Amino acid sequence: MFLTLLGKELRALFYSPIAYIVIAVFLVLMGYAFTMTLFVSKYATLVHIFFQSAGLLFLIVPIITMRLFAEERKSGTLELLLTAPVRESHVVLAKYLASMAVVVGMIALTGVYALVLGIFGTPEWGPIYSGYLGLALLASTLVSLGLLVSALTANQVVAAIVAIGVSFLLWTLDTLAALTPTPIERVLISLSLLARFTPFATGAMYTSDFAFFVSSTLLALFLAMRALARR
Amino acid sequence: MTAVIVADKLTRYYGARLAVDGVSFEVRRNEVMGLLGPNGSGKSTILRILTGYLRPTSGSATVAGFDIVSQGLEARRELGYVPEDVPLYTNMRVSEFLQFMGRIRGLESTRLTAAVDEVMERLALGRVRTWLIAKLSRGYRQRVAIAQALLGKPQLLVLDEPTNGLDPRQIIEVRELIRSLARELSILVTSHILAEIERVAHRVAILLDGRLLTVHTLSEQPGASVRLRVRLRATDEAALRSSLQTIPGVTFVGSLPTPGCYILEGADGPTSTVRALVQAGLAVEEVTSAGSGLEELFLRLTESASR
Repeated sequence: MFLTLLGKELRALFYSPIAYIVIAVFLVLMGYAFTMTLFVSKYATLVHIFFQSAGLLFLIVPIITMRLFAEERKSGTLELLLTAPVRESHVVLAKYLASMAVVVGMIALTGVYALVLGIFGTPEWGPIYSGYLGLALLASTLVSLGLLVSALTANQVVAAIVAIGVSFLLWTLDTLAALTPTPIERVLISLSLLARFTPFATGAMYTSDFAFFVSSTLLALFLAMRALARR
Repeated sequence: MTAVIVADKLTRYYGARLAVDGVSFEVRRNEVMGLLGPNGSGKSTILRILTGYLRPTSGSATVAGFDIVSQGLEARRELGYVPEDVPLYTNMRVSEFLQFMGRIRGLESTRLTAAVDEVMERLALGRVRTWLIAKLSRGYRQRVAIAQALLGKPQLLVLDEPTNGLDPRQIIEVRELIRSLARELSILVTSHILAEIERVAHRVAILLDGRLLTVHTLSEQPGASVRLRVRLRATDEAALRSSLQTIPGVTFVGSLPTPGCYILEGADGPTSTVRALVQAGLAVEEVTSAGSGLEELFLRLTESASR
């Protein structure tokens, strides 16, 4: 039953031209950034690519997630789906995994840059692996957040704009933290997506950062299920 | 007779607005129950509660013996639902959509194929099985929606305004389909069109402002009593009504909202009644059969309830 729901979500994502356009734009921009930086700096590193990818994910992920529930609610198919004998948790997880498949697949395609560096240079592979892991974890938090916002509205544009706003706020919380007293500063930094992502991008991995991304994903998915159940 | 739906004091608020107010009723096995009421009377909300899409604010209900909240999955396995605007996954092809809906209803492999073939044949969908749902007409979409609701042989079929947006031929087809399906399962159907409900339902629950006014049994209307709707030339309504009450053979006179229009009930047939009206000096302009009395009951109840 769950695989049926997952298949339906994957099909819906790939049936719409949005996924292809988003992936194409992402790859063109990343390819341009990779080439330019490589020719200018001559360093065999992907650190700048990881930060630029993360920046683009804030815009791209909400575009992919905006339709997940909002479209189904507006067209009425959510009523059809939730009055069938399916579990709400399965519906939420299927939508999350299908979106993750698109985003992670898109990120994985930039692995070509790592291969290019490997063929023509001698990169340090540790930071490359950790950078990709960091991007996948960041994507997971952003997808679950976008899914939660989509579960709260029937308007796709509202879903996208709110998700972009909240994601961007979480990304820059560490900047705000500098203006606040110490106890609040610590809390804000610990919630900052940039502060959690930077170690991964630069080759340092901490269990706390890993746990942050996983727990924020689980929390957003749980809240999405609650939002769906509160009818 | 076993009840497929037992609704007990169902109540639902949307914020501060009371949409359904303590509604209780039963739907028996192989019975077509109609929910009749003006737009906004709570019909769709009741269906959404019974099908598990909305939670009741208070009250309870069972479908095929399963509580709709605590045993929601089991209850939903026993029902097929066609929402009002016939929402479908328009990016799927007809057979693909039915297979998807069959799978989430727990059908697999050969059972799934057989079930999909069966409902496609029953709803005459063979010609469009490979069509994208987005390309289908309203009539075909309605058929696809009913087909998915029948997958897995549920005990209960729930139809919300099933004839909305259909042309006259399609309306007749849906009516015939409901009649034929009633031999196999129970059906709960809503409509704001009285004549539609009257033609398919065994019993009708009349709703107004979220309240259940009465449950009216259509099939138990006395056949001996003849009911006529008459239109008479009238200058003084009160005098006309008094005259009608003295007409021989007329046992009941009911007023209708249109001036000069009345329901006359009695043992005599239309010929005798019209003759008696003419002999009483009344100018008869139109005489038609008044049907089951549902229209009059509906008008009487909704009028007195809204006072």
